[in-house]
Amino acid sequence: MRLRSLNLRHFRNVTLTRLEFSGRLVCFVGGNGQGKTNLLEAVGLLTALRSFRTPDNRLLLMHNQPAAALICELDHERVGTAKVSITLRRDGKEVWCDDTRVAKLADFIGRFPTVAFSSQDQQLVRGSPAGRRRWLDVAAAAMEPDYLRALLAYDKALEARNSLLKSEGASDAELEAFEVALAPAAADLIARRSAVIATLGAHLAKAYERIASGAERPALVYRPDFDEEPDAEALLARLAASRGRDRMFRTTVGGAHRDDFELTLGGRDAKDYGSEGQQRSLVLALKLAQAAWFHERSGVRPVLLADDVLGELDAARRREFWQAVDPESQVIATGTALPDATLGNWRIFRVADGEVSPEP
Amino acid sequence: MTPSFEKLQQALKQLPGIGYRSAERIALNLLVEKPARLPALVAALEEAAQSVRRCARCGNLAEGDAPCAVCADERRDAGVVCVVEQVPDLVAIERSGAFRGVYHVLHGKLSPINGVGPGDLNLATLLVRVESGEVRELILALSNDVEGEATCHYLTQHLPSANAVKVSRIGFGLPSGGGVLYADSVTLKSALDARRNYD
Ligand SMILES: [Zn+2]
Repeated sequence: MRLRSLNLRHFRNVTLTRLEFSGRLVCFVGGNGQGKTNLLEAVGLLTALRSFRTPDNRLLLMHNQPAAALICELDHERVGTAKVSITLRRDGKEVWCDDTRVAKLADFIGRFPTVAFSSQDQQLVRGSPAGRRRWLDVAAAAMEPDYLRALLAYDKALEARNSLLKSEGASDAELEAFEVALAPAAADLIARRSAVIATLGAHLAKAYERIASGAERPALVYRPDFDEEPDAEALLARLAASRGRDRMFRTTVGGAHRDDFELTLGGRDAKDYGSEGQQRSLVLALKLAQAAWFHERSGVRPVLLADDVLGELDAARRREFWQAVDPESQVIATGTALPDATLGNWRIFRVADGEVSPEP
Repeated sequence: MTPSFEKLQQALKQLPGIGYRSAERIALNLLVEKPARLPALVAALEEAAQSVRRCARCGNLAEGDAPCAVCADERRDAGVVCVVEQVPDLVAIERSGAFRGVYHVLHGKLSPINGVGPGDLNLATLLVRVESGEVRELILALSNDVEGEATCHYLTQHLPSANAVKVSRIGFGLPSGGGVLYADSVTLKSALDARRNYD
């Protein structure tokens, strides 16, 4: 997939802009805080209508504006050309794909894949389980409609059970009724997470080999909160057995909503044992793995959004990164300085205070 | 606008699917543009309010103390009961012409998020019907989502165990997350034909 044009209105600090791209390599150059990342963030919305920087879409609206809008024209391996328009309002969003209004997230998510590389990525190694889980869920849901369905069914059943636990008068029979819906959804979700982590882990090993020299093999290790076979019967029994405790805490304490995964190197958790450089390489490799997986699974090459992340790497690692990137993938990068001209012909845009101008 | 006009507009706005603009248009139409229609509408509202009730047996719409048209129809098999969430679901199945039994309308489904518990559903009368022995088979035609599934489970757990009632659930062909109302007649017929035993 390649982005051909980007129109933005009232998005973060961008009042109005129309940008056209012709080639494979695009770079936004400017000082910090000028709005370079905002442009990448806008493109990143194409994947799942979520920002890679914040879970709160309201933050994407320009101050004092009722709506933000973006329109993208794309070349796409599957559908030829496409025009996607997204309008974000404080209370929701409206999405059009060519001349059809998109009614459900499931009909849109993953059709226009992007993968963002940002300095926040290190949180995937060092940060909270919730952040890792959110990343995994969005990436997997974008790739597999069945994953999204499993996730939504699980969330809905969990929300219902938690509502019952919060209300005083809920009977065991009512709890049981929703546990019967929750347990198979949980089993389904756990099995899908396990499969996704295995596939992604294989891509991770390949990508890591190309960007980091060293004997230690990386792996993704699933850490499900229910550490047993994802069997609906067992999960149902477990839910029934935790009713007393869950009533006390007024919420479902354990379950797939507490799952986590670890990035390991040579069998040891990279969070505790990896060096700073190893952690950086590991998250880069994870994102490259995500892109390779997207491509393998859907036949569509994601647009790679590189947010100044390479500025933090030393020259050798940077070179290795560029060698590992799929040479057909479009790259949209940001930086405070001009990008490496040996990589190809970059289309350069200067960004200052939300104004974007193409360099002749 | 006058105070009475605004009062009417406010009342109309409470109705489902009617916003401020539509309420204004309807009020103007009734009072100013076509006032001749008004007495008939008022009479119809009053009569309906007086006479339309829930059928005491099944929860469908009925008039006065009489059973609903389905329950009153002696050609229908009273031993086979199709359980639906809402009256429009019943209407949709009737329109498909695929079903010759009778109904039971729950008037909702279990939904803790919306504060709907078993006591808010038309459930007790269904259990009475089953207990009386008149029911051979229950077909659960609830929506194919988490709340529909939970309601099916709750209901089957509360059936009197002494009566052997065959319980099945439609589902085949219904879109996941979808309800009876949004399925077309052909889909509904195949969903009824392909119902599976509920256990
Ligand atoms: Zn009736």
